[in-house]
Amino acid sequence: MNQDQIVQDRIRKVVAVLIILMMLFGLRLIEIQAIRAQEYVEKVDIELNKSATLLAPRGAIFDKNGVELARSISAINIAVDQTVVNDPINAAKVVAPILGLSESELIQNLTGQRRYVLIAKDVEPSKWRDVYAAITAYNIEILKTQEGISKRIGGFVPERSYIREYPNGKLSASLVGIINDQGVGASGIESSLNSILSGINGKYVYANGRGNIIPGSEQIRTEAKSGTSIRLTIDRDVQWVAQNAISQAVAAARAESGTVIVMDPRTGHILAQASAPTFDPNDSESITQNKLRNPSVQEVYEPGSIGKVITVAAALQEKLVTPDTVFTIPYSLKVAGETFRDHEKHPPQRLTTTGLLAVSSNTGSIKLGQSLGKDALYNYLKKFGIGENTNSKLPGESAGILHPVKDWSGTSLPTIAFGQGYSVTAMQATSVFATIANDGVRVKPTILAGLVDQTGKFTASEKSESIQVLSQQTAQSLRKMMESVVSPNGTAPSAAIDGYRVAGKTGTAERYNSNCGCYSGYTASFIGFAPADQPKYVVNVTIQDPKGMHWGGVLAGPVFKKVMSFVLQNERIKPTPVSETHLSLTEAALKSKILANKNSKKAGA
Amino acid sequence: MSQSVKYRADRRLNLGKFDNILNFAVIGLLAIGTLLVYAGTREWFRSYGLDPEYYLKRHSINIVIGVLLAYGTTLIDYRLLRAYTPIIWLAAVVGLVLVLIPGIGSEINGARAWIALPGGFQIQPAELAKIAIIVGIAMILADRDQVDQDPSDLDVLKALAISAVPILLIVAQPDLGTVLIISAAVVAMIGASGARAIWVVGLLLLGVVGVFTAVQTGAVNEYQVARLQSFVDPNADPQATGYQLRQSRITIGSGGLFGKGLFEGPQTNGRFVPEQQTDFIFTVAGEELGFVGGSLILFLYFLIFLRAFAICKRSSDLFGRLVCIGVIAWFGFQTFENIGMAMGLMPMTGVPLPFLSYGGSSMFANLIGIGLLQNVYARSR
Repeated sequence: MNQDQIVQDRIRKVVAVLIILMMLFGLRLIEIQAIRAQEYVEKVDIELNKSATLLAPRGAIFDKNGVELARSISAINIAVDQTVVNDPINAAKVVAPILGLSESELIQNLTGQRRYVLIAKDVEPSKWRDVYAAITAYNIEILKTQEGISKRIGGFVPERSYIREYPNGKLSASLVGIINDQGVGASGIESSLNSILSGINGKYVYANGRGNIIPGSEQIRTEAKSGTSIRLTIDRDVQWVAQNAISQAVAAARAESGTVIVMDPRTGHILAQASAPTFDPNDSESITQNKLRNPSVQEVYEPGSIGKVITVAAALQEKLVTPDTVFTIPYSLKVAGETFRDHEKHPPQRLTTTGLLAVSSNTGSIKLGQSLGKDALYNYLKKFGIGENTNSKLPGESAGILHPVKDWSGTSLPTIAFGQGYSVTAMQATSVFATIANDGVRVKPTILAGLVDQTGKFTASEKSESIQVLSQQTAQSLRKMMESVVSPNGTAPSAAIDGYRVAGKTGTAERYNSNCGCYSGYTASFIGFAPADQPKYVVNVTIQDPKGMHWGGVLAGPVFKKVMSFVLQNERIKPTPVSETHLSLTEAALKSKILANKNSKKAGA
Repeated sequence: MSQSVKYRADRRLNLGKFDNILNFAVIGLLAIGTLLVYAGTREWFRSYGLDPEYYLKRHSINIVIGVLLAYGTTLIDYRLLRAYTPIIWLAAVVGLVLVLIPGIGSEINGARAWIALPGGFQIQPAELAKIAIIVGIAMILADRDQVDQDPSDLDVLKALAISAVPILLIVAQPDLGTVLIISAAVVAMIGASGARAIWVVGLLLLGVVGVFTAVQTGAVNEYQVARLQSFVDPNADPQATGYQLRQSRITIGSGGLFGKGLFEGPQTNGRFVPEQQTDFIFTVAGEELGFVGGSLILFLYFLIFLRAFAICKRSSDLFGRLVCIGVIAWFGFQTFENIGMAMGLMPMTGVPLPFLSYGGSSMFANLIGIGLLQNVYARSR
């Protein structure tokens, strides 16, 4: 073999090896792309299509006129995939000032192997645009330098999110409530109507390139369904006046808490419900667990004198008495071995039923209760909704406490007759007065006017359930009787409003303190309505545990006056002529009135 | 004197003298490569708000420069190149020394292999060293008094000596992939030169032992050891090198028979495989063009090798043949190394795929290699 032949021979051998290698490669290609293709396609789908939650915006909360009390506004959460941040130090330098973050902390958050780190929650969309623009500008510059591509900033991922805003702040905080950081209602209406307000989160998939969303690759698999907006029966302006009035009163009386409820007795609609002390929902610092409670439905207390209204109403309805029936009222009365007393020492008095209510006599109420009997009294309490949830749609509503007759002791009848031995919420108490205001028909209170869908279409809630508790005549008589409470001789002249007939009842009840299992402090309240002849609104002012002066008329009366005056003017209710005929409070007054009537008839004849 | 006249006459070249099947295959690969480089980078750059055509433009410029260099290579008779060989070799060695000097050479992915030039351009001296070594060895092994005489052991030692200097400098970078490619070319040329077969066997054994000791003694970087280990078990380290190999196979496999369509590959657009415009460009072809595209690429390489062998056989002198053998071994080993890595048949070494991958130095060197083949073709028989 000569040299040329050797070379030719070796070339042939190399060609043979080459052909074998080529075939090997071809076979491998067939294996990967034909035989096992499906397996790889599936792997790709798993790796590539990352799915993420598409947050649904929460429904807004409007007042009755469409003013926003709570709304969700778009925001962005910025997350980072640490494995694709090439240059944490420079990335932090670019991004930290825009987001107002500390550069050193951000560097820590950008360094590591974690695929998902949330670096900024709920930033405004414009902030994300700034971040994106800054990164892009930086990358364009860095690309002009050597190895620029390996120094570029990457790994920042925007995610859709929403911020809950409360434009009216403190004004309706305890009523509207707040949401927690998971976006679930934590208190107030946000909590009680959470299922309506929350939307249904959707799902989207995005093509994932080493942790970066590939722009334009997002595909929505399930569209997020926005939450339904709700319209409340609240009138923001009335709410504002009520909130200011109760805040001032609670502060002045150094009370534990206070609440105001304004209700339309004909519909059960609550126009305002303010509590104090309250918080600023936009300032998490001001929120404490205690302030998140809504005392109007969560705080139960013994109604005291307010409860006497029920006793008197029942006696009138049962025709046991009339407003002018005269009683002998002793200072103290012994029942079942226990002595009950009136608030102030007095010799035995001859008072009418009206007078009994006006001076809030405990002994007189016991006498009425005794003539009613346990079952009748209990039935009226039930009819007025005591011991039963009002379903006002406010959160954590308590049903109050009312024991069935079989559990009553010997002293139960007398105590319950003058408003102790059972507990109510301010909402229940308001409902009792609203029943009287509405000619004896109890319309269950509600805060929810209706729902507003995504297109803005309003669907009103069903009318609240109504129950006839008293006859129209009884209700009218009671209203007239209660007008005397705000008369100069009554317990709450401070609640009188010039130009309007106002009726109501003060309450000054000893407060049961569960901490010591004893009575300590007072619940001072005034519930009234106006105009007394044709009541349009009921206002309940209840102040818990005031320090110092604790009389309902003195503490709650002025708040009532402030709120009711505004409501009447705001709703353009015409002033009513002052009642010419005053009911008589005492036997003496009654006799002189009868005498005067006879004389005038004679003179006329 | 008479010889030089003859060479000069040969300078009047026309395209008809070139092997047009070879040209066709190379142009085909360049065209496919251009599309793949574009497909592999456009979404990536767009996602950063950068010019999506950035790589396309630079790649096109590289091809134009490369083609001009290739044509330039064909102008001078390859036998005259022998005269320039020492200069080319020296230039390559100087480049390889410069690259190791901090401040001149820049480090990417743990290897100091690039010299930065103004204007954002970089050159990789190791790529040009391939040509210097091939031409150098061919010169030594073919330079004999009698045509029918096989190269002596001394010739082989000389050849090894002139290749050892650049190889050791490349080991120092370190760039194991290029070392293996050059070694393959050296062994193939020594084997084809007619030297004693014991040299070929001995050198192959030396190569195996060399790689083994390099790994054991830590002469190669940790990342290169990791690459070799992840070849044995790609799932061992799914986030690092094993990740690349695994993703690479998934990406090719998901292409199926006809591929996802050019620019339509989700894995490619998501840049699941790093360096997909350079070392892993075959994954872009696999995903977007499928088995059909992958086979076409393999076929075009096969065509290049077959034509290169034909030119080799046609060549009337040993120098021409050895140059061809060197170029074939270089292209062949580099192609198999790269595609084999992408398909999980070879360990990951990080070499570009000839004619397809983005990268200026590599493109210039490859096209100069083609220029050498055409040069031999045009001046044979």
